[in-house]
Amino acid sequence: MTRHIHIVKVHHLTLSFPTRKDPDPRPVLDDVDFGIRDGEILGLIGNSGSGKTMTSLAIAGLLPEAANITSGSIKFAGKDLLEMSPKERRAMLGKDIGMIFQEPSTALDPLMTCGKQLDEVIRAHQDASVTPEDRRKMVTDMLRIVGFTNPDEIYGRYPHQLSGGQRQRVLIAGAALLKPRLLICDEPTSSLDTVTTVSILALLRDLCHRFHMTILFISHDLSAVRGFCDRVMVMKDGKIVDMDTTADILNHPRNSYTAELLTNARLDTRNLGLEPATVDYSKSPVLTAKNITAGYAKPLFGRSKNKTETNNVLHDVSLEVFPNEILGLIGGSGSGKTTLIRSLLDLLPHSGTVNLRSSSVGAIFQDPVSCLNPAHTIKWHMLEALNASGKKRGKVSRSERKALSLKRIITVLEECGLGEEYLTRRPKELSGGQRQRVAIAMCLIQEPALIIADEPFSSLDASSSAELLKLMTDINRERNTAFLLITHNIHIVRQIAPRVIVMSDGRICEEGTTSDVLNNPRSEACSALLEAERRVHGTIS
Amino acid sequence: MARAKKNSAEKTPEASVFYIVGLVLLGIVVAAFIVSLFWTPFEPDATDAASKLMAPCASHPFGTDNFGRDVLSRIMSASKYTIFISIAGVAIALALGTIAGIPAGYFGGFTDRGIMLIGNSIMCFPGILLALVAVAVFGASVGNVIWALGLVFAPTFARVCRVGTMEIKELDYITHARVMGVRPLRIMTFHIFPNLVPQLLPATVIGLANMTLFESGMSYLGLGVQPPDASFGKMLADAQAYVRVAPWLIIFPALMLVFYILGLYFISEGLRISLSKGGK
Amino acid sequence: MQSKASYLIGKTVELILTLLVVSLLVFAAFSVIPGDTARVMLGPDATESQVELLRAELGLDKPLAARYLSWLLGLLTFNPGKSYAYNVSVSGLIAQRLPVTIGMSIIAMIMVILISYPLAVLSSRKPGRLGDQICSVIGHVLFAIPPYVASLLLILLTSSVFSLLTVGNYVSPSEDFFEYIGCLLLPSFAVALPKIAMSFKFLRSSIIEQKSADYVRTAKSHGMSDLKILIRHVLPNSNVSSITIISIILSDILGGSLIVEQVFNLPGLGRLLLSAISRRDFPLLSGIVFYLALVTVLLYFISDIAASFADPRIRLK
Repeated sequence: MTRHIHIVKVHHLTLSFPTRKDPDPRPVLDDVDFGIRDGEILGLIGNSGSGKTMTSLAIAGLLPEAANITSGSIKFAGKDLLEMSPKERRAMLGKDIGMIFQEPSTALDPLMTCGKQLDEVIRAHQDASVTPEDRRKMVTDMLRIVGFTNPDEIYGRYPHQLSGGQRQRVLIAGAALLKPRLLICDEPTSSLDTVTTVSILALLRDLCHRFHMTILFISHDLSAVRGFCDRVMVMKDGKIVDMDTTADILNHPRNSYTAELLTNARLDTRNLGLEPATVDYSKSPVLTAKNITAGYAKPLFGRSKNKTETNNVLHDVSLEVFPNEILGLIGGSGSGKTTLIRSLLDLLPHSGTVNLRSSSVGAIFQDPVSCLNPAHTIKWHMLEALNASGKKRGKVSRSERKALSLKRIITVLEECGLGEEYLTRRPKELSGGQRQRVAIAMCLIQEPALIIADEPFSSLDASSSAELLKLMTDINRERNTAFLLITHNIHIVRQIAPRVIVMSDGRICEEGTTSDVLNNPRSEACSALLEAERRVHGTIS
Repeated sequence: MARAKKNSAEKTPEASVFYIVGLVLLGIVVAAFIVSLFWTPFEPDATDAASKLMAPCASHPFGTDNFGRDVLSRIMSASKYTIFISIAGVAIALALGTIAGIPAGYFGGFTDRGIMLIGNSIMCFPGILLALVAVAVFGASVGNVIWALGLVFAPTFARVCRVGTMEIKELDYITHARVMGVRPLRIMTFHIFPNLVPQLLPATVIGLANMTLFESGMSYLGLGVQPPDASFGKMLADAQAYVRVAPWLIIFPALMLVFYILGLYFISEGLRISLSKGGK
Repeated sequence: MQSKASYLIGKTVELILTLLVVSLLVFAAFSVIPGDTARVMLGPDATESQVELLRAELGLDKPLAARYLSWLLGLLTFNPGKSYAYNVSVSGLIAQRLPVTIGMSIIAMIMVILISYPLAVLSSRKPGRLGDQICSVIGHVLFAIPPYVASLLLILLTSSVFSLLTVGNYVSPSEDFFEYIGCLLLPSFAVALPKIAMSFKFLRSSIIEQKSADYVRTAKSHGMSDLKILIRHVLPNSNVSSITIISIILSDILGGSLIVEQVFNLPGLGRLLLSAISRRDFPLLSGIVFYLALVTVLLYFISDIAASFADPRIRLK
């Protein structure tokens, strides 16, 4: 084996946040010891609070003031970083060590053009001999390298005029501008959609080769390192618990914690016994939507101008959902999925017709944090749903009706796997998965023929998702409730939805049986989605 | 992560310091008010030619004014108006603000524009100007001061409600309620309003303080509480002529007034800190 | 660029609508006055025909809409009619008193900016340190002192301790400009005190908030020095958010100076307003109220436009 030169060597680093009250708290980093080899891409994986961000900040020298390094050393290319003066360390930032962060939407100064902000990187490090023209050329060249075909235009743009992926490219350009030897990426893709994620990762790999950079890639998601990192390091509670090549970690996790992370990262539906109902397509559909066109209203005084330019997000979309059916709806971000379901639910003004065969339609949404009203108990939620459904229950006395409603509520909650004891609880006492169950129970009590589910899994961990998925298929089978399932998880669609619709740019670009569409994609958008899915999550048989 | 933990650990004592200091300051004024209902050392309006402009002493701890009235007794009875006007005025402002602000935020569009136009127009009268006009037109009385100030303060609460409603109505539970078929009026009263309380509570306490600032200013100008009833503002106005000879006439009413306002500020600050922490 | 124009048009329409509502409010307030204005002016001894004559002279016999229009037109052409009590033109009276109120407001605003800004920058350097905490506590206390109480306390202090500044003197700017400024200093300071506290508190928290913003972390990772980050990134961003606060403070100062003039016995708009109230001189009163509101409306308008120039997120879409 060749001898690897470590560009960064972290030697038994221990770090804590002492306060006046607690001068010797539990360390945030506990005897962390590792090296980053020159030219490699090292993944650093761990849950929030595991100390992965602190590790990166310690290397960069950007630790919060309250942090105290109690022991250990950090060497960068042989020089001890902790011995350096703050000024020397600052001189290294941007020049020898570049960084990019998680949230591209706020990581750029909103008042300054992107070009100016990149220009500042050079000005902070170069002496006065570099002319403004040189600097501008350096910046535009780098913007071209990170994938902009119109660097001069991007130079003069303000951050809010760019998309999330574009901003992340600008930030990467800033970090790579002076061709640092080490690039620290702290969850650079976690707020981006899968298609953009794949392109950003490809860019980072390309930069890594082009400038011979070393990358420290931090993520909470083990699956994100697949096919990107050379080696992976797993952190838990401030300690490094596992370190190996990526292939070994992903395929043969030796550490129990790594294995746990791995199962959490991948939703395994094979053992769940999902049995969706069989669909009879000859019946008349529960939902028929024809020629839906919708968009967002223009500001009051902008309305008179640009009459020709349409502001529509949806263009002439038609779809049908049959009884008992689980219809999958997939598409990248900005494809109009959310606008479509908001139009179907009559929450947005739209043209076209929506015909519902049943009196009510249920809906569950993406965010388990905000799906329930924090001011009220679960019982209140259920009663509210029951009363809103407006079903008459004959002539009964008030107290009798109360008892009847309560009985129904308890039955429905139990069907959703929640016992009677949940009645008096408040949303903040429930987990994300439990809240989504309450949301489903609220739909069920209204006995809808169709439930529209908008990305219900995206904020849940794998085990909660699996339980929710099981609940949905059970309801579908036993209650004959149809589902319109919007998701970016193609894997789930493959498992439970017999039919699928693919959206792109506000239009339906593909529609058909799931196996047909996903195995032989005809549209570009669908192929891109499948490709991104495969890159990020690997092929799942 | 570690940073957030540290902050929350430090914030709790900070909030309780605000609470304690605020409650103590407010407690002094409220205690004076409660005691004054049953007992004051002297009749607040009783003049005594023999003891004019007496410096603080054993029988008159806060001294006497130019009519020989006991300053302590007058302060105690003045606290009644301060507390009453601020609470009644804020109640009116809160009611108007909520009724206007929640629909403005919920419906948006022209409802919002219309309501906010009126609200902004009211806010365009600097300081106590609008309340002064109202009192000038309808006459100076406690009742007029209360509704005038209530009207002046309503837009502040309307803004809080509007912004809060605009945030809350985008949340999934409101969308869910709309999909379930809950009527807008019910959504606004039972789904949105309870969740506005954390924002309205500090605003209400601050409102009480600002209301007092305005009321005492009007009383100082002679357009608020009318003599012979005592009020902090009027007492200060009367005392001005005796700045050099009887500074206690200014110091004690001013102290009580500042205690009341400062106490409320501190409590609202404490509320703000602990509620913003609980919200995260 | 097009959206910028439409933003300006939108704001201008809003300005005009606000002014309309403001004028309606003022007019409505003075139209519902209990009692007959003409009767009030002439006193109980006047005959019915005298009252009728005065009513016609004042235009009180015309329909409400016509009176509103002529009233508004008069105000907008700076010719709002004659004062009942002084029997001279309202605009002349206001113009005569304006230097005091405007002067005080400007001096107070300068004080607010000069004192609160450096203190906030210093204080936010190390939040939680002793100096910061002292500033914050003093700020809280000052915030709770009504301007007229502050004036009284300042008078108390200056008269007994320094006995340097004489209270109640006023020299008009045309006589001696420096003495004019001198006699306005103390009242301006009294008006400014609570607003210094307010501005300090807002700026401090705004700077602290901006300092922990993500883009500051980015700038740090680019190797920029703390001072440069403060000047190039933190201060511009906190300035954008403080433009609105400054306009609110200015309006508060204007309102506060109305009362403080009374304490210091200065012949400003506040005293004119009070005498108009006590004499029930409604043309004068409505004139003062409308013009003061007009100034505030314009102030908010200008601050909105200024904010749009400072913040590209409003300027460009």
